[in-house]
Amino acid sequence: MHNSNYLVAFSLSLSLSLALLGCGDSSAETGESAAAGSESSTDESSTDDTGATETDTGETGGEELCPTQGVDLDGDVPELLSEMCLVSWDGAELLYEDNVYAYDLNTVLFSDFAVKDRAIYIPPGETATYVDNGVIDFPVGTVILKSFMFPADLREPELDIDLIETRALIRYADEWKGYPYIWDHELGDAVLTVQGEVRPIDFIGLDGIERNANYLVPQKNQCLECHEIKDELDETVMTAIGPRPRYLNRGGAHLPEGTNQLTHFADAGWLTGLPPLAEVPAAWDHRSLADTPIDQMDYETITRAARDYLDINCAYCHNPSGVNGISSQLFLNWDNTDEFHLGFCKKPGSAGKGGENREFDIVPGDAEASILVYRTETLDLGSMMPLIGRSLLHDDGSALLRAWIDGLPPGDCTEMDMP
Amino acid sequence: MNYRPTPFNLTRTLLLALPLALLLSACGDDGGADGADETTGDGDGDTGDGDTGDGDTGDGDGDGDGDTGADPNFPLCSCAQFEGDCVEVAADDEDGLQIAANSLEDGTALVLGLGVFELDNQVTIRADDITVCGQGMGTEGSFDEGTTLDFAAQATQSNGLDVVGDNFRVMDLAIVDAKKDGLRVEDSDGVTIQRVRVTWRLESDSSNGSYGLYPVKVSHVLIEDSEAYNSSDAGIYVGQCQHAIVRNNVAKGNVAGIEIENTQFADVYGNLAENNTGGLLIFDLPGNPVIGRDIQIHDNTIIDNNQPNFAPGGTVKSIPVGTGTFAMASRRVEIFNNTYADNGTTDVAILSGLVVEIDPEQWALSMDELVGDIEGLDLPTNGDTVYSYRTNNIYVHDNEHSGGGTNPYLSSMDQEFGVLLALVYGADLPVDQILYDTVEESAFSASDAGMNSNDNHLCIGTNVGATFASINIEPLSMMGGTVDDLFRPDAPYTPFDCEDLGSGGPVVAPEME
Repeated sequence: MHNSNYLVAFSLSLSLSLALLGCGDSSAETGESAAAGSESSTDESSTDDTGATETDTGETGGEELCPTQGVDLDGDVPELLSEMCLVSWDGAELLYEDNVYAYDLNTVLFSDFAVKDRAIYIPPGETATYVDNGVIDFPVGTVILKSFMFPADLREPELDIDLIETRALIRYADEWKGYPYIWDHELGDAVLTVQGEVRPIDFIGLDGIERNANYLVPQKNQCLECHEIKDELDETVMTAIGPRPRYLNRGGAHLPEGTNQLTHFADAGWLTGLPPLAEVPAAWDHRSLADTPIDQMDYETITRAARDYLDINCAYCHNPSGVNGISSQLFLNWDNTDEFHLGFCKKPGSAGKGGENREFDIVPGDAEASILVYRTETLDLGSMMPLIGRSLLHDDGSALLRAWIDGLPPGDCTEMDMP
Repeated sequence: MNYRPTPFNLTRTLLLALPLALLLSACGDDGGADGADETTGDGDGDTGDGDTGDGDTGDGDGDGDGDTGADPNFPLCSCAQFEGDCVEVAADDEDGLQIAANSLEDGTALVLGLGVFELDNQVTIRADDITVCGQGMGTEGSFDEGTTLDFAAQATQSNGLDVVGDNFRVMDLAIVDAKKDGLRVEDSDGVTIQRVRVTWRLESDSSNGSYGLYPVKVSHVLIEDSEAYNSSDAGIYVGQCQHAIVRNNVAKGNVAGIEIENTQFADVYGNLAENNTGGLLIFDLPGNPVIGRDIQIHDNTIIDNNQPNFAPGGTVKSIPVGTGTFAMASRRVEIFNNTYADNGTTDVAILSGLVVEIDPEQWALSMDELVGDIEGLDLPTNGDTVYSYRTNNIYVHDNEHSGGGTNPYLSSMDQEFGVLLALVYGADLPVDQILYDTVEESAFSASDAGMNSNDNHLCIGTNVGATFASINIEPLSMMGGTVDDLFRPDAPYTPFDCEDLGSGGPVVAPEME
């Protein structure tokens, strides 16, 4: 007779694992998704300081090319980016028009080392509302611009820049919509390209080594893979990702030294509800890596940095309302405190081929045994995370995640919690 | 620090006890003779690559298209068949296809021409009431017949056809060599998949994409007359869905042929699952908020599923080679009128979820996170928490079996259940074609029939050519054993001689509106 204690027996045998089956489930696959637009930049500092400021009015002297700024919300989006009258490219830097505010983020999405330039157009007279631990509530008509470029040599980021694309995220009355514009440098403009593009790119990295990427300009519909969440009504809606106070709470490369971006936006009149800065959270500032490499960080900083890195690189899907990540039950948002959903000793719902022989999303104390590390490092199509937007290894990111996981108090994931 | 689970040690022990020979003898798999090609007829045109570039992206809404003469590029499906907005795209016009897909307004038909589209990125659809049709799905082993979406050139990680949208229909096309999933439809209501063939060029290749046809989190899904070949996970997967019909499809050469996973109300019939590692599988995985229920598996042909397990990893890697069907962590499942033949390990295995995940807490779900209906399910509960590991209310009857269980030696160390069976049965073959793991039964005895309980309400009716055994799996897996340690009753298999699904009544059929 057996009975009662079969659990005990099992735990022993469990191991035996009998594991039979499985099968994927998927869905969630761990995560998925990624890239399409998002924030961040690799070393943005470089770019931004180039100029990108909200100055330049008009590209040219008086031609009436730009009677109105922004997007006609009742019509089609323009075929040419210039028709929005928000930004132009002079061959070396992006020039933003009035009412367009360049910004940077504390922690950024990795996109194959692309240098990124970000800006927000707020229709004159409109205001945006500060949201605590959320995306700022932008007014209808807002256009968020994010541009991706590759200098020939990342060590000289101001030189020989290949500006690839500018993504426009537009706030309509009921929803956000995203559109990719690919720059045509002969035309001197960026052209709406809903079908996206896969473009081979090569450049010299900060380490002096040449890299070759299959850079993805996402299709219009692929924007949703990252920018889509379930709202309170369980409706699927598009959202911005980066412009949250904790990522904006920093100086801007394009602003005078010491000027905080949030303060600047409030002073400009369009950001309302900003609490005293001391009360505004701030994500880890990735620029600090320049002075404090990972191997010199204390573990508390490593933890914060790794959690913010995961938040911006993964949590757009891997959060409890992420359309593409929810079924994984792996939630990497910075404020998730549930260790199971953080992946500690958690078996994936289905890692697809992403686990190789690893069993747990995160094995505390053992990065190498963690699926999360494998999937964020591998270049195997079919296993990579994020799902889109990465074709190269992000060495800094991977070092950070490894340092964090290796520093977690080791635990034996195979121990059973007996009910 | 061993993060490598104890299990391995146990396994090793267990295996050491066995003649190595067993493990090695992997019999070859055979290439699945029966040709059967069930391709549904339509237009397997012939190679069409070469179409002269006539078609262009034309937004040409077709209603007008009057020429009945049938455009040679659109012999089977054309805009003439649709009212409302319609876009025809000729093969070769990959850019046109991607522009069209990314520009679809709700309610549009997207008609793909005869020939091959060579695509470097997925085709992404995010709109409602979309119909996509091609000019035929072609035949098994072809990569350029009918309308073929060929993703071999995919340079980024993506699916083949990737859809989120209600009332989506797709038909008469083939999807080849997608990096991830062939056809993925997620989070949608009302999905119809007809005559779609998903295949990878290479057989038994672990770098093939994961899933062929892959509706997930979908309500009301019909998959029929479709085919899936060579996926490194499941060929046809219905997961986290409610109300599904899967009929008259073919799944060959996949690790898992057809999977019905965490799904409620599914009718699965008329399918052929052949030469997969596991043929047709029903189960729940731990922690998933859709608790599977009310599944009918009938009139399927599930044969020769002896494909070596070529999954690159993951749980699917542990499907024993030679499995016909298993129901695991499942409830209210009726398996009848199916034909099982030549599945080397066993035809039908009824297993508790604890066999794959022993920690009940991993199966815990809070009531408020559940999706769908758990009314009438006899789930273990604890306050507001329910557990989905139990397998109960299963009825297996009137299936035909032949040649099953005669070669259980095909599993490798990754398929431990298969290895366990090989060890226990040794040379006493065949393995019984219907197996039950007895987890959570209050009583088990190999020798005294009266000392066996049937707390989980497993009913085994008449199944021609099959024998039945219940396996007291925990001691066997720890200490090993022989067939003498199994309970192998003769028909009518008392106490498993009931003929229903228990108090909840017959299987509730899917509602397809």
